[in-house]
Amino acid sequence: MTIKGPTRKVTNRCFAKTIKLLFFYLMISPFSWANDPVNATALGYPEAILKEELAEETITGQVLDESNNPLPGVNILVVGTQRGTSTDASGKFSISVPESATTLRFSFIGYQSQDVPLSGLSTISISMKPDISALKEVVVVGYGTQEKEDVTGAVSSVKGSDFENLPTGGAQQALQGRAAGVNVVRNGGAPGDAGSIQIRGFGTVNNADPLVVIDGVPSGSMNDINPNDIASMEILKDASASAIYGTRAANGVILITTKRGGFDSPVKLTVNGYVGVTNRMKILDVLDAPTYASIKREAYSNDGLPIPSIWEDTQYQTQKTNWQDELLQQGTTQNYDASIRGGGKYSSFAISGGLYNEKGIIGKSNYKRYNLRINTDHKIGKRIKIGQNFQFTNSHNNAPNTTSSQTGLLWSAIRFHPGLPVKNDDGTYSSNKGIGAFGDINNPIYTVDVQDLDNVRNRFLGNFTGEVELAKGLKLKGNIATDATFANSRSFDVKVTDQFRSTSYNELNVSNSKTWSFLQEYFLNYDTNFDQHSLNLVGGYTSQTFNYEFAKQRGRDFASEEPSLRYMNYAGTIASLGNDNGGKSYDALQSFFGRVNYSFMDRYLVTATFRSDGSSKFAEGNRFGYFPAFSVGWRLSEENFVKNALPFVSNLKITGGWGRLGNQNVSSLQYLALINSSYRYAFGDGNPQNEISGAAQSKLPNTKIGWETAEMTNIGLEAGLWKNAVYFTLNYFIKDTKDMLLSPPSLGTIGTADIPDQNIGQLRNQGFEMEASYRKSIGDFSFNIGANAAFIKNRIVKLATPGAFLASQLYGRGQQEIVRSYEGNPYGTFYGYQTDGIYQNQTEIDSDPNLANDSRRTDGQIVAGDVRFVDLNGDGAITDQDRTILGSPQAKINYGVNAGMTYKGFDFNLFFVGVGGVSIYNADRMQGLDASYPFNLYAEAENRWHGEGTSNSVPRVSTLNANRNFRPSDLFVEKGDFLRLKNLTLGYTIPNSVLEKVKIAQARFYITGQNLITFTKYSGMNPELGYIGSTGGGSYRQLNVDYAQYPQARTWTLGATISF
Amino acid sequence: MSLLLVMNACKVDLLDTTPYGQVTSQQYWRNGDDVVAATNAVYAPLLEEDGFAHTEYCFDNCSDDMHRAGDHSDETALELFTFDASNSHLLATWATKYEVISRANAVLINAPKVDMDETLRNRSMGEAYFLRGFVYWRLSLIYGEVPILLEEDAINLNFNKPKSSFEEVRAQAEADFLKAAELLPVSHAAAEAGRVTQGSANGFLAKLYVYNENWAKAIEYADKVIGNGAYTLAANFNENFELETENNPEVLFALQYETGWTADNSPAFYHTPQAYGGWGFHEPIEDLVEEFEEGDPRRAYSIYAPGDPVTRGSQGTEPFEADMTRVTGYAFRKYSAYTDAGDMSQSLNAPFLRVADVYLLAAEAKIRSGQNGDVELNMVRARAGLDPIAGATIEDIMHERRVELAGENERHQDLMRWDKGGILDISAHYSIDRGPYKPGRNFVKPKHYYFPLPQREVDLSNGVLVQNPNY
Repeated sequence: MTIKGPTRKVTNRCFAKTIKLLFFYLMISPFSWANDPVNATALGYPEAILKEELAEETITGQVLDESNNPLPGVNILVVGTQRGTSTDASGKFSISVPESATTLRFSFIGYQSQDVPLSGLSTISISMKPDISALKEVVVVGYGTQEKEDVTGAVSSVKGSDFENLPTGGAQQALQGRAAGVNVVRNGGAPGDAGSIQIRGFGTVNNADPLVVIDGVPSGSMNDINPNDIASMEILKDASASAIYGTRAANGVILITTKRGGFDSPVKLTVNGYVGVTNRMKILDVLDAPTYASIKREAYSNDGLPIPSIWEDTQYQTQKTNWQDELLQQGTTQNYDASIRGGGKYSSFAISGGLYNEKGIIGKSNYKRYNLRINTDHKIGKRIKIGQNFQFTNSHNNAPNTTSSQTGLLWSAIRFHPGLPVKNDDGTYSSNKGIGAFGDINNPIYTVDVQDLDNVRNRFLGNFTGEVELAKGLKLKGNIATDATFANSRSFDVKVTDQFRSTSYNELNVSNSKTWSFLQEYFLNYDTNFDQHSLNLVGGYTSQTFNYEFAKQRGRDFASEEPSLRYMNYAGTIASLGNDNGGKSYDALQSFFGRVNYSFMDRYLVTATFRSDGSSKFAEGNRFGYFPAFSVGWRLSEENFVKNALPFVSNLKITGGWGRLGNQNVSSLQYLALINSSYRYAFGDGNPQNEISGAAQSKLPNTKIGWETAEMTNIGLEAGLWKNAVYFTLNYFIKDTKDMLLSPPSLGTIGTADIPDQNIGQLRNQGFEMEASYRKSIGDFSFNIGANAAFIKNRIVKLATPGAFLASQLYGRGQQEIVRSYEGNPYGTFYGYQTDGIYQNQTEIDSDPNLANDSRRTDGQIVAGDVRFVDLNGDGAITDQDRTILGSPQAKINYGVNAGMTYKGFDFNLFFVGVGGVSIYNADRMQGLDASYPFNLYAEAENRWHGEGTSNSVPRVSTLNANRNFRPSDLFVEKGDFLRLKNLTLGYTIPNSVLEKVKIAQARFYITGQNLITFTKYSGMNPELGYIGSTGGGSYRQLNVDYAQYPQARTWTLGATISF
Repeated sequence: MSLLLVMNACKVDLLDTTPYGQVTSQQYWRNGDDVVAATNAVYAPLLEEDGFAHTEYCFDNCSDDMHRAGDHSDETALELFTFDASNSHLLATWATKYEVISRANAVLINAPKVDMDETLRNRSMGEAYFLRGFVYWRLSLIYGEVPILLEEDAINLNFNKPKSSFEEVRAQAEADFLKAAELLPVSHAAAEAGRVTQGSANGFLAKLYVYNENWAKAIEYADKVIGNGAYTLAANFNENFELETENNPEVLFALQYETGWTADNSPAFYHTPQAYGGWGFHEPIEDLVEEFEEGDPRRAYSIYAPGDPVTRGSQGTEPFEADMTRVTGYAFRKYSAYTDAGDMSQSLNAPFLRVADVYLLAAEAKIRSGQNGDVELNMVRARAGLDPIAGATIEDIMHERRVELAGENERHQDLMRWDKGGILDISAHYSIDRGPYKPGRNFVKPKHYYFPLPQREVDLSNGVLVQNPNY
């Protein structure tokens, strides 16, 4: 290493040059500068900077590995410049160097870097030596990094390259199936819907999202990051790994590290783009117009009622429209991004920008995101390092409503009359208006066409980091960050006059909000080694404040609906939104943390962590929580008896740990009794009346509210065989969520005020997680296969009172109760009646012991073709007390399988995800077979009972439905297991020999398919249903209930990545 | 510098937070304005669809007057008596009704402690007593036996209570109405019209005593209303159902709506035919339409029938057509009003007690106690321009109530009351096939006199709340 002149000067020069070259890259053809320095000079570069490039010589050579085989892909850098290349498939290279250059640096992952002095040589051949320490993979842990071998907690790593260029809207979706115990629950397939992440099962009935830390900043959504900017994601799963984030770690922690420029690495411009199309995977079979009418007629006849003339009217019995066909159209996906990364001796940088645009398969649903990221690192002298990260995201999202069981778009398309055209001959939309018998649904295509909504988010996430080496091994580090999101949503609802569900005014809703947080943290890091002891200490202080402020406005009665007039100043009236007019909230966390990592002889490992957290969510006196954790590990593979007995074992480690974590992710201010002053009434003579406000307590207080804690025990085994060609990890864990914050049974006698959470619930998740991988190279062919699986059992251990349950929202216009969660059972179980086939004749009804004392039998309310419900409590009558748990939405196993292979320039990758041992409640089908609704029915209704022996599973049709055949029952519980070919990628990388001629460092072209094949027995549109509903007011979310959610789609994309 | 930041950040007040834009209950109850606002809030839940705007009307689908006409399967089950205790309407209205009780209790607990104008205090407490009494009254009709929560229960957070007997619930309603009648003024300033009055409380007491078959008291309390010049029949029947005159002296108690301000999903929305912007539930059946006498103008004011001219603001006048309804060809008109532009208005109030009802209650009490009720009955008939009846019988009362109060949530309760009084057999009455939209139904006595308690509440109470018999 040669440094000419004072350090500072060189730094400045390098940095300035970097920036200039960067500018140059952007503005000019990237090929020109190296070939045509004169041109560069003409553009105004001072000769001094370019001087070293003026006199050139070419150096060629070959790089071999330790066994003298050619080593392709080795990076070669002219030290002190930005110039570099890499070896081709035969390990050969050719590079032109300036006369002033003195040294070439050869580097390759897993090998020791070598600096070779030039001293006039024109041919250099070297062999690289494996770097034992570099083989040690480094993983990011909270407030530091650790060698993977020394980690005693449960940590999964996902590399950015695993999901690079997959057509996913965000990193969250990309994580699905990638790591054991990390379950990404997709809530349907709407563009921009990130889904939710569950680490190690359903951790709490409250917000169970893991903490996402982006480059050291605890922050919200990870979907705002361009997945192509991510270098790695580390998932801290057990208490030992995550306790350093005590407060918010109970549901796991995801550490995201974005790509950075490396010091002394050539500046590399990478341009990346893919475009593709998205299509529906399935549509549900529904009745055609004539069959619909004939089945409705049969329903009236079955009831002994006269058939209303509309069902005889032939004008509605010509099949005209398959509404799902009309609604589910082709979508598109596009992604373009570019990055420039590299660095000199003292500064490095990474700048990237991108655009992702996904148009969904339903209507105008669209998700568009612009990204900008700037990361830099600087060394000041030998002891100071500073760095900076900045991320800007602008996103637009306008997904329509597809979760309402009363007006959802897909729900409507399944049910709208198939004998009506999309548009009438006069160009107006067809409608049920004036044909009440067909039900109060609006034409779904009309709904799509008049949709006018946009949700915009602008997010700025930035932090500064600094590090000072105070003494050998002792560093003081600081991190200051802000995360600010400015959101604006706007929707205009036209006045609907010609559809069944009409409105008497048009309405504009505008809301603006800003969310900002400020983080500051300071900590000391001390590393030391003595004899065979190795010790790392981390300890410090962190605080983060969170502010939120919003305002909403509603305007009505716009005299014209011209798009240019859809603004608040044109509204005829401004309607008050009461409490929703606006507001502000503030929360804060304040914490101290510390961790000790100690190892002896590289084989006996101990980690101990402690964190003390204060949270403003709780009243004084309950604010502080204390979260300890420890773990131990034993690296058996370092013991001689293992080395001797099992020489093929390259790594073998067993670990065990325990810790306590906290969750404070619940509503603020629950310790106060709040008065809502915006209840409304009207008084006064005449028209209009006076608008009157009222005030009442809207929340009962719980002054004792405190931390929800999770205690977790983890036992792990990690093994690598044959130089880690086979790698295997196994973890067993028990996670007990204690003092879980629950709304106690919200007795109706309390009224409708919000019930505060109380620390009364207990939940247990326990299970196994395994990850395994195998890689092998045979000549030019190499392949790898990896699999992960988690077997997790979820149980609610304790609720407020014995026998109590957690309630959930009711389904559909019939307001049916489908979900209850009971003690001793998984969360979110389906609840209803057991059935035992269909009564085939009256004799079966008369002799049925289930109905022995049921007055409905003697009253003649049950007839042949009705469902035989099972009298579980044995009282001889079917009543509410006969309901029971019918199935669980919690999967017994979640798994992912990844297989990749490369041959010469080709790469091929398959990625499967699957779940097993899970049930789905097909509520849409329950309603879709019930002819007492006016709507169209599932085609399955053709298999209905219509005479003895015709069906034992689909009951007869009826408009009166006296036996309530379509009450929630096991008839509509289906197996939800699926295995999905999530991604398939075939790529081709153009050989270096070709690329060198055009001065391109790398060029790869690829085709990717997503959601290509799904193996499932589930009869509905899509087995990935996710969560629906919200938690609050004594009601809890539902999982795996089919409301005709936005289905997932199949995507094919073509793309290219080119680096210079 | 870092150290300074640490010191600065360590200030404990980082964790102190403020309920921005909200007050806490400790800061509340400062003055008369707070008491009035808290009293206003007692009225608010009445407007919810789960409170009185929709659910209560669904309970009257059980009558022989109307067809549910919606597509809510739980309403089918209610109308056909095939419901069970998990029927969602039984559940939804429970909490909303107890919310009224809870807010009334808050006023009754705190108003006496506030330094305020005595007249205003009496008015507010009278309103709170009335609304609590009204809810216990409705609970006694719907469920029969329910838990009674009073001020001390609210103070002690004693919510999981066993139910009281039917007589106790009824007595609670009576006691609250009596206190309200004592405290409330006879009338309010024009700007406050719609607040309950002495007449509201006395009117409900008259009704309660008729249900209790306490004829003397029924007549006594009815007289306190119809004998008071402040409470008179509107000159025209339709004034009760029009925006300009909806708070006329005849209306003793009504849900007060103002579009754009109060809750949507009002009775107007549910009853107005879909062709005019509503949802078109609760459609009258032929049997009710035929009950009206020839020439009774109330038929056309109460019900849209095919051919009726309908005027909707600037959209002009068009005839009503049968296919504007969902099924029966008829729609209630009482709950429909239109803006100048001809759109459905959600400002229309929904009456729950009118002076006409009190006249008919007085007439019934007199007839059933062996007296002559012609005067009271004929007041109502005369207002409709119909000939007087001499020597009116209970059958005349039954007829008059059905047409005068059609769709006003009285019929099913009236029929059950008359059944219990031995005047008719409701099981036989409901088993009659009244056409495709009201087939014969199986009313089981005594099971169907009351609806079951919401099964979810029974299950949540951990054994404290016992289900009604027969469910």
